[in-house]
Amino acid sequence: MSDRITVEELSELMKKAAGVTVAPEELQRGYDSGFDTFGIDSLGLLGIVGELENRYGTPMPPDAERSKSPRQFLDQVNGALLAGA
Amino acid sequence: MSEPYPRRVAVTGIGVVAPNGNGTDAFWKSTEAGLSVLGRVTREGCEHLPLRVAGEIRDFEAATAVEERYLVQTDRFTHFALAAADRALDDAGLGRADTDEAPFSVGVVTAAGSGGGEFGQRELQQLWGKGSRFVGPYQSIAWFYAASTGQISIRRGFKGPCGVVASDEAGGLDALAHAARAVRRGTDVLVAGSTEAPLAPYSVVCQLGYPELSTEEDPTRAYRPFTSAACGFVPAEGGAMLVVEDEGSARERGAEVRARIAGHAATFTGAGRWERSREGLAHAIRGALAEARCAPEEIDVVFADALGVPEADRAEALAIADVFGAHGRRVPVTAPKTGIGRGYGAAPVLDVAAAVLAMRHGVIPPTPNVFDVCHDLDLVTGAARAAEPRTALVLSRGLMGSNSALVLRHGAA
Repeated sequence: MSDRITVEELSELMKKAAGVTVAPEELQRGYDSGFDTFGIDSLGLLGIVGELENRYGTPMPPDAERSKSPRQFLDQVNGALLAGA
Repeated sequence: MSEPYPRRVAVTGIGVVAPNGNGTDAFWKSTEAGLSVLGRVTREGCEHLPLRVAGEIRDFEAATAVEERYLVQTDRFTHFALAAADRALDDAGLGRADTDEAPFSVGVVTAAGSGGGEFGQRELQQLWGKGSRFVGPYQSIAWFYAASTGQISIRRGFKGPCGVVASDEAGGLDALAHAARAVRRGTDVLVAGSTEAPLAPYSVVCQLGYPELSTEEDPTRAYRPFTSAACGFVPAEGGAMLVVEDEGSARERGAEVRARIAGHAATFTGAGRWERSREGLAHAIRGALAEARCAPEEIDVVFADALGVPEADRAEALAIADVFGAHGRRVPVTAPKTGIGRGYGAAPVLDVAAAVLAMRHGVIPPTPNVFDVCHDLDLVTGAARAAEPRTALVLSRGLMGSNSALVLRHGAA
């Protein structure tokens, strides 16, 4: 487990928390697309945040679950992990 | 206020996921043959519980029926509903392109007796085993009574009137009546019905408190309504969804009208007060006949509620006699659910599916496992009976006191 969340890890979390399969390459290509275009709804994103908080034992910023795109989301959570490190 | 040209309500599609058949054709073949598939409860975590016999669905592969996200986000009862809705829409000849053209003209109504118990149990175990942070957000929607209605409409892009009826077992019939009313008010198509998945440990434990539940170990003796050996009912999972639509527009688009929903009425007589259900059921039957403008003698077959509790069976037989008089001793009565169990809200919807198919095939399916009838009813037992039913009455009662009756007419009528 690295100290930065990668698109690979986000892809794996999307599958686990919401049952939505999107390959990391595809996620990279749609880095600025909305989560809704991948089929992730607000509950799905909330589940991903919860899973990350349990994994890293640290709270994520409240705006993380409101992120519109993978870029926004990874910026938020990685910023929090960096600050907590 | 009556409209100048009231809309007539047609059943144009049937989708079934039942213990005796994963699919409408398989269900009908087993039902017509009087096959009993009741068996020992084998679901994980249920084996040691005092409920011994149930109607389990063993050949349903959720992963092939629905997309992966629904496996993660929804309960087994919703997997059944999504699969049954797909089948019903296919049967009605309504593809994605058809409904996408007019999404506001398609709605969904389901009935649910218990919601998503298996999903709920898993998340509650996370809550008490690990803590609140380990409960997944989909718990908030997956175990709701309304989950299946919501997921069907979202998945297929339907934007018409949607609802869920939580009125006990009889809710299955009430949901169809609700759908019929939506059609009469102007919505063209409703996907309506009920599926249940009550065979998970938490759900089974909840049912153990029902005095009407059969705990008999022998599958051939566990559910025998209308006999002196009646010892309660056997629960089941699965159910059916129907496509219900305006008869005029159905015929216009070339759909086959399999039956018409002609009348319905519902009453309430209190939980477990089976003697009183006689009056409640009779009142519901009269109301359904009146709405259908149907004389009692016109009813060609009755699909009974058949609870399997002596007092309740007697009340049902007397209700039929009260309404039908001498015709009550002549009209064929059947209860195919004795071969598959009683799937709560889904049970009467499967009965409606069977009634529509019985009218289509000209045969009345039998009542498996039932032989020596101790009531003054012409119960069809042993083998299916050739007949030409044109009008059918379906009855349902809930453990909490709901009584409901639905009249169906042959599609060509």
